[in-house]
Amino acid sequence: MAKTAIANESHLLKEASRELRGVLKERGIVEDIIFDIYVGFEEALWNAMIHGNRENPSKKVTVETEITRNTVMICVEDEGEGFDPEMLPDPTLDENLLKEGGRGVYLMKHLMDDVRFENGGKRVVMMKYLKQTLKDGGHGAN
Amino acid sequence: MVQIDLEIKNDVLIFRICGDIDINTSPEIKKSFDKVIKENNKRILVNLGKVDYLDSSGLATFVEILKHLRTCEGQLKLTNLSRKIKGLFEITKLDKLFDISNEESTALESFNK
Repeated sequence: MAKTAIANESHLLKEASRELRGVLKERGIVEDIIFDIYVGFEEALWNAMIHGNRENPSKKVTVETEITRNTVMICVEDEGEGFDPEMLPDPTLDENLLKEGGRGVYLMKHLMDDVRFENGGKRVVMMKYLKQTLKDGGHGAN
Repeated sequence: MVQIDLEIKNDVLIFRICGDIDINTSPEIKKSFDKVIKENNKRILVNLGKVDYLDSSGLATFVEILKHLRTCEGQLKLTNLSRKIKGLFEITKLDKLFDISNEESTALESFNK
C-alpha cells in the first residue's frame, strides 16, 4: 500500500492523479477502466481539497492506494469537518439537472464499483474490481 | 492545458476544444463561451473530438453555458464525444438536457434556420 500526504494545492493534486494514471497503465489495466478510476480519483481529491479542506493551503489531503491483481483501492482523507453523503441531492432528478454543481460524488459512485464514506465523511474509500480488465501481458499483482 | 479553435460555418460558431476539461481549465473555457455569446453568437456547436478527459466541473461548465444561451434564445449542441465522455453525460442524465450528435456535419445541419 502506498500512502502520501499532499498539500492542499491544485497542481499537486493533478500531479498525484497523473502519477496514479501512469501506475495503472504500467500495470496493464485497460484504458476504459483507467478512465473510470482517474475521474473517480480526481473527483475525490477535488472534493477533499475544495469542500473538505475549504481550499486552506495549510491543510493536507492523505491518499492511500493499493493495487492488486484484482482490485484498485483508493482512499482519500481530508482535514475538514466532514459531511453526510446521504444528504446530497440526486443530481439526476429533473429538478436538479440544471444545477451546476453536485455531480462529483455521484460520478465517483457510478464509475467506481464500491464507494464508502468513513470518519464522518472526511474519508472516502473507493474500490474498482479488475476482473478480466488487464491487457494481454499485464502484470496486475503487487 | 486546453486549446480552443473557433470557426463560423452556416452562421453557427463551432468551438473545437483540444485537451482536458477539468477544474483547472473549466474557468478558461467558460470565459471563452461568455465572450462569444456576448458578441452575439447564439448558435454554438461544441466539438469535443479532441477531449480525452472531462470531470464534474466540465459538466457544470456546459450546464452554465446552456443556461446562458437559453436566456437569450440561443442553441447549444455537442458533437464528436468519445464513448467514455458521452458515458459521463448519460450517467448524470445530462444527455436529456443536451443535443448530442455523433458527427459535426449532422449537428450543423440540425440548427434551426
